[in-house]
Amino acid sequence: MIAARSTYTAQDLQVVEQACIAHAHRLGLDPPEILYHLVPAETVYSVACRQVPGRYSHSDFGVQYERMKAAYDRGEGRIYEVIFNADPAHAYLLEGNSFVAQVLVIAHCLGHGDMFRHNPYFGPTDKDFPARVRSAAARIDRYYARHGRRVVEDFITACQAFAPHAPLDRLGRRYRAPEPVFEPQPYDELFPRETEQRRIDVDRARDEHRRGFPVEPERDILAFVAEHGHRLEDWQRDVISIVRAEQEYFAPQARTKVLNEALAVWAHQHILQALDLDSDAFVEAQALNAQVVCPRASDLNPYNLGIELLREIEMIARGDLDGLDDEERARFVGWAGAVDPGAKVIEVAHSHNDVSFIREYLTPRVCERSRLRAQAEPDTERVAREEFEQVRDTLVRHHTTLGVPVVEVVDGDGRGRGELWLEHRDEGGPGLDDEYARGTLRLLAGLWGKPAVVRTTGRLNGVARPIWYVAASADAEVEKLVDAPPR
Amino acid sequence: MAVAQGTGLPEDSGRRDAQHNRARVRRQLQEALRDRIGEEDIIAAGPEKRIRVPVKSDRRYRFILDRGAQKGGGAAGPAAGTDPGEETYEVWLDMEEVEEALFQSLDLPRLKPKREIAADSSEIVFDDIERKGPLLDKKATLRENLLRAARLGEDDADWDRDDLRYLTWDEEPRPTTQAVVLLMMDVSASMSAGHKRIARLFFYWTVRFLRRRYTHVEVRFIAHTTQARETTEQEFFNRVESGGTLVSSAYELAQRLQREHYPATDWNVYVLHASDGENFLPDNDRVLDAVVGLMDVCALIGYLQIGARPGGMFMTGPQGKLAAHLRRRPVDGLVIAEVSDDRGIWPALKQFFARDDVEEAVVS
Repeated sequence: MIAARSTYTAQDLQVVEQACIAHAHRLGLDPPEILYHLVPAETVYSVACRQVPGRYSHSDFGVQYERMKAAYDRGEGRIYEVIFNADPAHAYLLEGNSFVAQVLVIAHCLGHGDMFRHNPYFGPTDKDFPARVRSAAARIDRYYARHGRRVVEDFITACQAFAPHAPLDRLGRRYRAPEPVFEPQPYDELFPRETEQRRIDVDRARDEHRRGFPVEPERDILAFVAEHGHRLEDWQRDVISIVRAEQEYFAPQARTKVLNEALAVWAHQHILQALDLDSDAFVEAQALNAQVVCPRASDLNPYNLGIELLREIEMIARGDLDGLDDEERARFVGWAGAVDPGAKVIEVAHSHNDVSFIREYLTPRVCERSRLRAQAEPDTERVAREEFEQVRDTLVRHHTTLGVPVVEVVDGDGRGRGELWLEHRDEGGPGLDDEYARGTLRLLAGLWGKPAVVRTTGRLNGVARPIWYVAASADAEVEKLVDAPPR
Repeated sequence: MAVAQGTGLPEDSGRRDAQHNRARVRRQLQEALRDRIGEEDIIAAGPEKRIRVPVKSDRRYRFILDRGAQKGGGAAGPAAGTDPGEETYEVWLDMEEVEEALFQSLDLPRLKPKREIAADSSEIVFDDIERKGPLLDKKATLRENLLRAARLGEDDADWDRDDLRYLTWDEEPRPTTQAVVLLMMDVSASMSAGHKRIARLFFYWTVRFLRRRYTHVEVRFIAHTTQARETTEQEFFNRVESGGTLVSSAYELAQRLQREHYPATDWNVYVLHASDGENFLPDNDRVLDAVVGLMDVCALIGYLQIGARPGGMFMTGPQGKLAAHLRRRPVDGLVIAEVSDDRGIWPALKQFFARDDVEEAVVS
């Protein structure tokens, strides 16, 4: 029997943890070993603000720390847990939380752990990651000492602006765009003139490649800068590689945030149901759970969306299709009412990312439960087909780009003067934000060492027109040109 | 063991990062604090108190979509999450940090070394270079090595044990910069509650500054109505009095204290006087004599005119006899500041404790 109480020892938690693990296995979860650290607020917030234990120091993390600490001191927005995907995983529990809160967090972490281990977007857990984080932190400390903290911090900040542009499949490898090579084809000798032309084209492409002109538009801006940037010093290239390596750790988490939290909430809900709680403990656990999953008026609560999607999957698995129209029924016909709900949840968690998770399982019923509406003050309780599709498309679009517009390097030798030219692929959507485009472009000109240009689309009186922003250097005023590119 | 108490090491990286950030935003913090120096709640709760300073964070630039075109997405709005907006956060400072930030740009002006040598003011100075010692001096060692190479007629020479030079210390008697600051506050009836408040705040920060920055500064407190008397610090800040005004009483008491305890040969003497400038008219001649007399022995006389009074005794106008005198014979070292509300306290402090550039502020 677990009772609500405020004092407990690490041993007490240990006993509960064993029980939680047993229940997790019964649910079909298979988490890795997790080390739980019972630590004071200072430590939890230190780890949370740097996001990874042992990461390098940066004053931006200090800003996060001030924010979190101020909220904690005011008694708002407590962090209950921070979990770190490593082998073994590390979870940090806040000392002074009640016993029931700790039990809930331990059960919650088992869901995260299962995701780390089995969701394909996480890939195999990198055993060396903690060591590489520490080594990077030590190197950056040296750069602080040698080149001045301010200079190095600003450089890191600039790199972080472009880190989210790296496509997932490119991360983790040292970037080297393949050099075009002439590849003989069958019967070349029959067409000497054509073959010769192909050879000339390839030679030209290779020359351009060597000058820094990407053969294909390049989305990995940071990698391109590291490879071809002018006047980059060794430490700067090292910082770029450090920032890219971190992105490798953060990107899968960003792509699976909703699903990851969904499975963690699902795990703690089911495990707490199964544990033998006395009535006070049960009420406390329910209250804590409600705090985590309640829909918010101001913005989307990923915990809420996630658990409602999993609930939907469980309902459909049990054959509950009330209120779903033919289109949904057709989509779920293969398994509706025919599979074990828990097994289906775990199958989903082990195969999806947020985009596919939402696209596949969002239904009007979920929108109604989670109060996801297209209008701020809807007339009806029901979410009609049209509104549902609008909501779903917005969510899918957001989780596809995560707010990162597609911006590609199209020329590394712009105007023959080594300028870096980018293009924003807006696909009919909005263009880049004016103020942020200017600020970002100045950062890029600083990294590149020569002027940087980005082309986007602006709407002037409702008419779409091409716009070019030109940053001559990191400190120069950014120029804006409409309709005609800079000459 | 899967649940462990603690991580082994105390983890304070967050606080250290926050410290680095505070250094980055120091200017913003200083400005915010200067604006708030007149808020009594800062000082009311004493040294335990921490105060909250809002700081505007730098924009974190990155490519985002046009924020203008994103609006109207509706309640489904995760799009709203892409608007980074202007963000502020709060920094909590304890009084130590507050004073550190405020007082950085203040100094006692014209502080001169004086003759008397106090017993505790000898200083350990690493200034001697020897062949043996506790601390290797790399620069001196390199110099020896280069010299030896030059003597050998070579461009460079290998390191030799003979090159090594060490720093050793000397105990050096340091001429102390002894200073005394005489704080004089007008507590007469003409000073309104608001005026007294400003005077008290001004002196509060003055004392905090002096105590924090200088170990050798003595502070003495004088309150005056028609009579001046020396008070304790406690009384100075808390007693409420009333009555007429004879400003000369304060300056004469200051003169007497100086003569008896603080000879100019041994002491830097500072006099700071805060008043609404309303004086019993015939008394002004005596004030003038006392001020002129003090001028010879003081490093600085600061007069804080509280509330704009064109007739104030150091100001122009019918009572401005002193001002008239000063126009004829400018006195180096008399600084006059005017303050009419809380926001003027910082500029006044800045005027009195300027970093040795008092000339600009001196009445001429």
